[in-house]
Amino acid sequence: MEEKFARWNTLFLIYLKRDWKKMIVWILGLGLFSSAYVPAFQEISKGKGLMGMYETLQNPAMIAMVGPTPVETAGEYTLGALYSHEMLLFCGLFAMVITVLHVVSHTRKEENLGLTEIVRSFQVGRQANSLATLVEVVFINILLALFISGVMISFEADTITVEGSILFGASIGMAGIIGAGIALVMSQLMPASSGATGAALGIIGLLYIIRAGTDISNVDLSMLNPMGWTYLTYPFTGNNWVPLMITLIFSVIMMAVAFALEGSRDMGAGYLHEREGRERAGKSLLSVQGLFIRLNKGVMISWLIAFIVMGAAYGSIYGDMQTFLESSEIVQQMLTHSGASIEESFTGTIMMVMIGLVSILPIVLVNKLFTEESHSHLNQLYATRVTRSRLYWTSIGLAVSTGLVGILLAAGSLGGTAISAMGDQSMMGMIDFLAAGFNFLPSVLFFTGMAALTLGWAPKWGKVVYIYLAYSFLLNYFGGILDLPEWFAKTAIQSWIPRLPLENFNTLVFVAITVISIALMIIGYLGYQRRDLVEGA
Amino acid sequence: MPEIVNIRGLQKKFGKFQALNDVTFTVNAGEVVGFIGPNGAGKSTTIRILLGIIKRDAGIAEIFGKDVWKESLEIHKRISYVPGDVTLWGSLTGGEIIDLFLKLHGRGNQQKRDYLIKRFELDPKKKAKGYSKGNRQKTGLIAALAADSDLYIFDEPTSGLDPLMESIFQEEVEKLKAAGKSILLSSHILSEVERLADRVAIIRQGEIVESGSLEELRHLTRSNVTLATEGDVAVMAALNGVYDFEQKDNQATFSVDHNQLNVILREASKLGVKKFESVPPTLEDLFMRHYEG
Repeated sequence: MEEKFARWNTLFLIYLKRDWKKMIVWILGLGLFSSAYVPAFQEISKGKGLMGMYETLQNPAMIAMVGPTPVETAGEYTLGALYSHEMLLFCGLFAMVITVLHVVSHTRKEENLGLTEIVRSFQVGRQANSLATLVEVVFINILLALFISGVMISFEADTITVEGSILFGASIGMAGIIGAGIALVMSQLMPASSGATGAALGIIGLLYIIRAGTDISNVDLSMLNPMGWTYLTYPFTGNNWVPLMITLIFSVIMMAVAFALEGSRDMGAGYLHEREGRERAGKSLLSVQGLFIRLNKGVMISWLIAFIVMGAAYGSIYGDMQTFLESSEIVQQMLTHSGASIEESFTGTIMMVMIGLVSILPIVLVNKLFTEESHSHLNQLYATRVTRSRLYWTSIGLAVSTGLVGILLAAGSLGGTAISAMGDQSMMGMIDFLAAGFNFLPSVLFFTGMAALTLGWAPKWGKVVYIYLAYSFLLNYFGGILDLPEWFAKTAIQSWIPRLPLENFNTLVFVAITVISIALMIIGYLGYQRRDLVEGA
Repeated sequence: MPEIVNIRGLQKKFGKFQALNDVTFTVNAGEVVGFIGPNGAGKSTTIRILLGIIKRDAGIAEIFGKDVWKESLEIHKRISYVPGDVTLWGSLTGGEIIDLFLKLHGRGNQQKRDYLIKRFELDPKKKAKGYSKGNRQKTGLIAALAADSDLYIFDEPTSGLDPLMESIFQEEVEKLKAAGKSILLSSHILSEVERLADRVAIIRQGEIVESGSLEELRHLTRSNVTLATEGDVAVMAALNGVYDFEQKDNQATFSVDHNQLNVILREASKLGVKKFESVPPTLEDLFMRHYEG
């Protein structure tokens, strides 16, 4: 034992010291996200709200996303039932993902970075680091569970019972612990830390998709799925503690397996070996475009898939639009406009929301050029025929094209699902959805232009563009409720653009914002051409 | 002899910090110039200015007679560069990265690529994230050496390489030199510079404090002499141009100014010379003299 775990407690304390800020953000952030929406849900459930939500969430597409409820009639659907139905699966999923990232970063990643090597040269047990990490994440997830339960109880809301609140918090904490087990096992198997993270997240994604299927076809099968154990506790309705017991046993087994595996592997090596890569570069890599596409491939594909899923999720609501909107006054205020069909006004708002999210990807791609620059990856490229202009415009070009594809996928997937959900009653065709989406193209270009401007003149400020995006997004999202003065609302770029199909297309605005955005890109280029490149600093 | 690299009065400030004060030196065609100086003296800053990565505040910096900032593209067609700390994309293999660099350079030589990969014993199928410091450095070196350029700029190219690989690198540089290429070699490893360089430029706190051929530089300084005599060698200590005199029995070691050599030999012969060894100063001696003084 001593040989294996000596001084794990010292490492544990060091981790607490190293991570306390991260822990606070983690527990407060995820904790409040999981628990603090109780008042908002109280608002939604007023009047016929609960019944409306019950109907909406019975839709198979919604079950696939948020999971099932044990409640069988709309009359028994309480605030507590709604809250755990809508929130628990996602909050558990987040807890799991964050724990996975944390566990891998303290185990395999530290090995890759060479830190473990130094630590092991002291009087520290071979597996002390894994034990310390594990104790730390269990500790964090227990705090998280307690915090969530405490906040929920403090609202003293009707049907948010004490037992239910504790179970709700515990389910999320246990979800995190499942994640720790999966991450630790993958850390032993995979050849490097990035592989371990990828495999663990992949397994979680797979479990999520499998449970979406079994939730719709036969909920009993979801009981075989570790992901199912988190939300099948049914807090506030069934209050079923059994899944948590199963989780506990499962986690102990996973951790035992992980420790056994770790005990007989070499530091820095996994049980699976790194696949051999290509000896020679493929043709598609041999250009600046090829390189940038390759470097951003993962990010681009995952965001584009996210856009499709998002479009499909919102699209599936169109079938029960009426019930959904009647459920709450706030929702009505946010989403409807007088003198138009609900579907049309919903499309106008939801498109603004989706294209706001689509704007993130181009900003990421433009900022990536600076990341590469500051990581010194481009050192040897600068000394070749590749011009700054080539690097810059390739990045911008890639950003703009993914913006276009993003809009196409988001709007197309929204339209496709919406039209099939509405069936014969559909008043809108695919072309209406696409038009509504591409109508927001200038805003995407504008954010790209801002990112380009900072890249050229003040690259360290690249993150500010995200803040402006978040700001204008929130301003538009809540603008309907808050009744803001015109000039204030107009500080968000999207406010200038009319909401299709509700309002008419405005050519002047479309062209003007596009021209301004292109101008920003050109000004950014002038700066990029001129400034000192940061290298390894 | 045409000047390949021409730097005059180069200055660069980072905020308030004067990184380069007055850097002046040249690299002529077919010449290997060693660029030496301690950490933070301004070697890498100078090289980055030459590559057009950062912009100079004042002075002249030209390669092939072209301005390094305004005509960087023309220049870059004919140069190769290896930084001291090669960083690579972890998700690409070494082989892919070399191919990419050669493609972007434009004048890569496939046979030379394969030959160098074998010579440096690099595994090109491995993802770069699994490479050690030495292997990353090899990747950068292979990409630079396999490209056909007129000027090669190496910024501490052998850091992290084992002595065997270091000497392979030196052999490859000698081949380039024999082929009439020009090379700017910034290095800490003075024996490497001594072996390869025709001329050296020593930089200190942003200024070139010495430059010239090793022969010339040596002449400016002292040789180390070991002298054993029949008579009392102690009298030598009093002579002009003798420094650091140390005596053990009737054998002494001291350093001597070259212009005083004749006088010293004459005095020594009066004592009856049993042994006389004179060693020219190593580059290390030169270097230390500049930094200690």
